[in-house]
Amino acid sequence: MRDVFRTYPVEARLSVVLLSVIAVLSVMTDTFLTLGNITSLLNNNAVNLIWAVGLLVVLITGGIDISFAVAASVVQYVAAQIFMAVGGGNWAIGFAIAAGLGIGLGLINALLIHGFRVISIVITIATFNAFFGLLMFFTRGRNIYDLPDWWTNRVFIFERQAADGTWSELNLSVAVMVACVLATWILIRLTTLGRQLYAFGDNPEGARRAGVNIWQMQVVAFGWCGMMAGIGGLMQVNIAQEVVPNALYGRELDVLAAVVLGGARLGGGRGTIFGCILGVMFVAITQNGLNLLGISPFAFQMIIGAAILVAISSSNLSFRLRGRAEPVEVAP
Amino acid sequence: MKKLLNAAAAVALVVSASAANAETSMGIVVKIGGIPWFNAMEEGIKERAAELGVSAEMIGPTSADPALQVRAIEDLIAKGVDVIGVVPNDEAALEPVLKKAMEAGIKVVAHEGPGLNNVDWNFELASADGFGEAHAKLLCEKTKEPGTFAVYVGSLTVPLHNAWADAGIKWIAENCSDKLKPVGDRYGVAESVDDSRSTALDLIAANSDLRGFLAFGSQGPIGAGRAIEERRLGGKVHVMGPFSPGQGQKLLKNDVISGGFMWNPAEAGRVFVTMGNMLVEGQEIASGTKIEGLGVVEPDAATRNIITDNLLEINKSTVDDLAAKGL
Repeated sequence: MRDVFRTYPVEARLSVVLLSVIAVLSVMTDTFLTLGNITSLLNNNAVNLIWAVGLLVVLITGGIDISFAVAASVVQYVAAQIFMAVGGGNWAIGFAIAAGLGIGLGLINALLIHGFRVISIVITIATFNAFFGLLMFFTRGRNIYDLPDWWTNRVFIFERQAADGTWSELNLSVAVMVACVLATWILIRLTTLGRQLYAFGDNPEGARRAGVNIWQMQVVAFGWCGMMAGIGGLMQVNIAQEVVPNALYGRELDVLAAVVLGGARLGGGRGTIFGCILGVMFVAITQNGLNLLGISPFAFQMIIGAAILVAISSSNLSFRLRGRAEPVEVAP
Repeated sequence: MKKLLNAAAAVALVVSASAANAETSMGIVVKIGGIPWFNAMEEGIKERAAELGVSAEMIGPTSADPALQVRAIEDLIAKGVDVIGVVPNDEAALEPVLKKAMEAGIKVVAHEGPGLNNVDWNFELASADGFGEAHAKLLCEKTKEPGTFAVYVGSLTVPLHNAWADAGIKWIAENCSDKLKPVGDRYGVAESVDDSRSTALDLIAANSDLRGFLAFGSQGPIGAGRAIEERRLGGKVHVMGPFSPGQGQKLLKNDVISGGFMWNPAEAGRVFVTMGNMLVEGQEIASGTKIEGLGVVEPDAATRNIITDNLLEINKSTVDDLAAKGL
């Protein structure tokens, strides 16, 4: 236990805070720990987590990507046009096109960052505006409701009717989320490339001297983030059943906050899949809990902000106490 | 690119203006661009402007943010338009900049902003009470078993949505309290399909006796409808609210959304231009004045409000026609 707290301090503390939140909610409401609520939490946050693991890879390499959410919108629009042009398509073509377009947009970021040696926040703020501006210009803000059936039909990977007649179900986006999380875990944990991503993020110059190909690092990080953006965009349409140009605008900051909350360091070199999942879960469960507790929506933002502050500061606090009063943190 | 086009349009305007003695120009700032409601409003604005031979453009910010509206209005003042129209996100945030516009001699027309002070006129196609009550009545009629209902507004600071919500909640408390009790406070999620949907899922999970939603805000009924579709509660939980017929057509036909009232955003766009033109031409608007699109009006000179009831019911028989109109 001691080792876990030392190696992954943020993840360990956050899971303690998260577990206490879950414990409180399970006691105070009889609706939190129900199959219906848990499945809808998973359905609602699948897309966020897909984006989060994509962003995690960029954060590990010491970069940041502000543009991925609007990139996902661009992918949705272009993909919709392509599907109409080819007369329908199917899920396999859909994934290939969405991932391909996403990678393409990610590579634009990588190319600009590497080519001009400008820090990623500047480039991705620029591409964020460029992508969104172009999207609004070409679409004139029109929504698309008339989408291929395969794309908007709901696909269940699990469904069950409870005794009182209520349905619980998991939709396709959850399966896709699991696949994306696993793939990202394999990339950053099990491959040499993954080790190089961490090394490059921690110390770019050192990594370069040790023979790491820097261009390759940028391509992998932003290409991966773009691919996840595209796949997330594809799944978001499956849930919302319409393509709206500004629907995803602003989502990048929510996802970024969740990933950083989960222990990924903005300076690079640190961040885990587990932390990423915890960060997304923490924000999602707090919001869900407020609704279940029937707390006034006027107080939502305030409480979520305070909860994030507590989660972050408590991790530092217990870090300082470690050694003397260690068992205390594990107790709740 | 857009700037460049605007600049080109401005040059074209200057050229045409010098030809046809100083054409009246109008800029109308709406809550958010790119959603069907305001796309329809833009069509109405363009159509009426062409009929009257004036120039009018609609500006839709990228997000429903009062600060973006302030900036857009400042740009219009700098550009020297004759009329500024506005559909406010936050009334208080806009007062200073609207004051500045009026001081610059610009006529200001508002819509969905009954509390604004610095305007020539604010017009409504539906009275707040009438609109809220119409939805509340419909919800009460559709509800068979006693239970609870939830209320959505576009955001907690959208004045008109809150006025509808107040009227609807009050009507239910007075006339339908044996069947329906409110759950929680009102939820400010109804400008986003995703937020409306996930909040509805949470509320359905939290309240097994939930019977309906009063969803004020263009995306609220759609998002709540998606949640009900997912939970397979169509016909058991009723969603009432104004929505864009084209967007909600399928949901209404599948009994997931039960119905609602709206006014025609294209008509509102036309009224903006009609009234702006009347003000520029110096026509008096007083009790009994007939304004195209509003009918004979009874303006309230103290609050600068012109309130009319031009409601359109959205139900299975009207939705197709409305959707075909591009709404």
